[in-house]
Amino acid sequence: MKKQSSFHMVKREGVKWQQIAMSYLIAIVVAIALGGVLLSVQNVNPFDYYKDMFSLGVVGNKFAYKQVEAFIKLFTPLLLTSVALSLAFKMRFWNIGGEGQFIIGALGAGSVAYLLGETMPTAVVLLLMALVGAVLGGLYGAVVAILKVKHGTNETLLTLMMNYLALYLLKFFGETSGDWNFFLAKDSNRPLFATFPDNAKMITLPTPFGSFSLNLSLVIVVLLCVGVWWYLKYTKQGYEISVVGDSPNSAKYAGMKVSKIVIRTIFLSAALIGLAGAFYASSAGTLSTSMTNDVGWTGIIVAWLAKLNTIGIIVTSLLITVLQHGCSVASSSYATVDANFADLLQGMILFSVLTADFFTRFKLVRNSKQEVAK
Amino acid sequence: MQEYGVFTLFLFSIVVYNTVLLYGTVGEILTEKAGSLNLGVEGTMAVGAIFGYLAGVSTNNLWIGLVGAFIAGGLCGLLFAFLTVSLQANQNVTGLTITTFGLGLYFFVGKGFGSNWPALQSAPDVVAAYAAVPIPVLSSLPMVGKAFFSHSVLVYLGVLIAVGIWWYMKYTKTGLKLRAVGENPSAADSVGININLYKYIHIIIGSGIMGLGGYYMALVMGGSFEGSTCWINGYGWISIALVIFANWNPVMAILGSLVFGFFNTLQVYSGSLANSFPESLGWLSGIPAQLYQALPFLITAIVLIASSIRQKDGEGGPAALGVNYFREER
Repeated sequence: MKKQSSFHMVKREGVKWQQIAMSYLIAIVVAIALGGVLLSVQNVNPFDYYKDMFSLGVVGNKFAYKQVEAFIKLFTPLLLTSVALSLAFKMRFWNIGGEGQFIIGALGAGSVAYLLGETMPTAVVLLLMALVGAVLGGLYGAVVAILKVKHGTNETLLTLMMNYLALYLLKFFGETSGDWNFFLAKDSNRPLFATFPDNAKMITLPTPFGSFSLNLSLVIVVLLCVGVWWYLKYTKQGYEISVVGDSPNSAKYAGMKVSKIVIRTIFLSAALIGLAGAFYASSAGTLSTSMTNDVGWTGIIVAWLAKLNTIGIIVTSLLITVLQHGCSVASSSYATVDANFADLLQGMILFSVLTADFFTRFKLVRNSKQEVAK
Repeated sequence: MQEYGVFTLFLFSIVVYNTVLLYGTVGEILTEKAGSLNLGVEGTMAVGAIFGYLAGVSTNNLWIGLVGAFIAGGLCGLLFAFLTVSLQANQNVTGLTITTFGLGLYFFVGKGFGSNWPALQSAPDVVAAYAAVPIPVLSSLPMVGKAFFSHSVLVYLGVLIAVGIWWYMKYTKTGLKLRAVGENPSAADSVGININLYKYIHIIIGSGIMGLGGYYMALVMGGSFEGSTCWINGYGWISIALVIFANWNPVMAILGSLVFGFFNTLQVYSGSLANSFPESLGWLSGIPAQLYQALPFLITAIVLIASSIRQKDGEGGPAALGVNYFREER
């Protein structure tokens, strides 16, 4: 006779978004408190540390605008990548190839900058960089989508492998000397990515806040987020995405061309990530082998924490950037806690949010005596 | 004979630097056979590595370190199992987060020691127990003897675990049930197999084995903690690729880690091999190192695509891989 557990799970219906938001907030506070406990184990005062971290180096700093610019440099690629990934995840397509698509986009944009940067006006160069980056990134993702719909290839594992193919391609261009290699600085003995010509550097807008200047790509990315939100909510294609995500079969019965929708959406998702790579390259004014800063991975966590909701993703990527930037600022005053503490916090936040998420999705019900007897 | 020295050293290094892949792969195979895709191998290995190392060095006992690494890795597995099995969280996201979390914890713990980091030399018994043990007779074979049969006990342990898990999955009753859980959980449930229990146990043991791999790597790296790169440095990700290459077969994983290891190691040795045999192997130095590094991933991508085109995707891989089992939806 098999032993029956005395509880079983039932899906909850009609949970209000306020309840979800509240449970998430509690989960985040719990995770940060746990982080505080870990800090005190290391003999670091958690209150001092968190004060340094959450003030982001902005408070009482003459060069606060530099911190804000550094913050934006982290925030922009993460936001665009996370929003882009949410498109794929909505269809239950496990695009974990954000790293690769980002790199391919940056490589494409970089090629334009190095080869054509000096010959054309800034606006044209930047537009071309964005376009090439987006198209190459998009194709790099669409290949997987085509294999998935045609042959059922496992997209999780294939996109994972393709991240590394892109990474080593980038490293190859960055570490191989040769006359053909237009990626490298001509005046350096050891291989080094060259700086872009000035025409290929992202435009910064002057602001009324003193020396602070706003990177144009942030403005574009925020507009793109609004665009994606609108696309998902109000267009036919957006509707198709949600139907395919909920049930590919009913999409098929409704006469939708599921393969086409999948390929189109993954192209869009990967193209936006490629664009994020292109924007990052033009903002940094060069390429680097560590330029992704793990956005392809972190973006997955962000998209999931935000339940794939576009507005939620904006808030969540802000939070994650606060952790990342805050930890790197705080690490200058603490010898034993480095910027990797952000990873630890991110992990704990996700674990505790996943736990909270469970209790908003399910409830445990005690089995009645009769049921157990059955 | 002298010119063969570098060749033997090359083969020897393949084994030394890639046994970590064997542990990672076998751990992941066990996990995936239970139907769970755990992308947290890299993080689990990092956690196993640092806690195992600290346990081993502080007690000056190789085996206590080994147990510590298994427990630390196993706890990561418990976390993964709790979130994905009990709480029905998404496996991809949870696994990736285990990696982020694990690497964060690795650096947090290591950095916390500051300049008091315990060196491997402070534990002479660990060093002695870790040292190479030549297998009688076999190790005196020319060339291959030194390369393959004169290694640390932890290398032999890795091979033993791989063969043991292979035998367990193929010939025992619980192993058969395990495969049923990974292939078709609702059918397995209907014949009275406790799905959650099977998943928990195999995820935890699988992660424990990954932890052992991390511990092994800590010792290979001489226990020197660097703030910038983790000891595991990508081996966890290659292990995930290797599971596919080995077609979910632990014995094939032994061969697979040698093949992947061949490319990994060639990247380091291509220069000296080309120098020692300029006529036959001189071309090696002309190949970019990044190609060697990319090859394991390239091969795996090709295997993935080719097997799906031949419609043999389910041959070795569990059919229900990556899908959570929710009994009420049966």
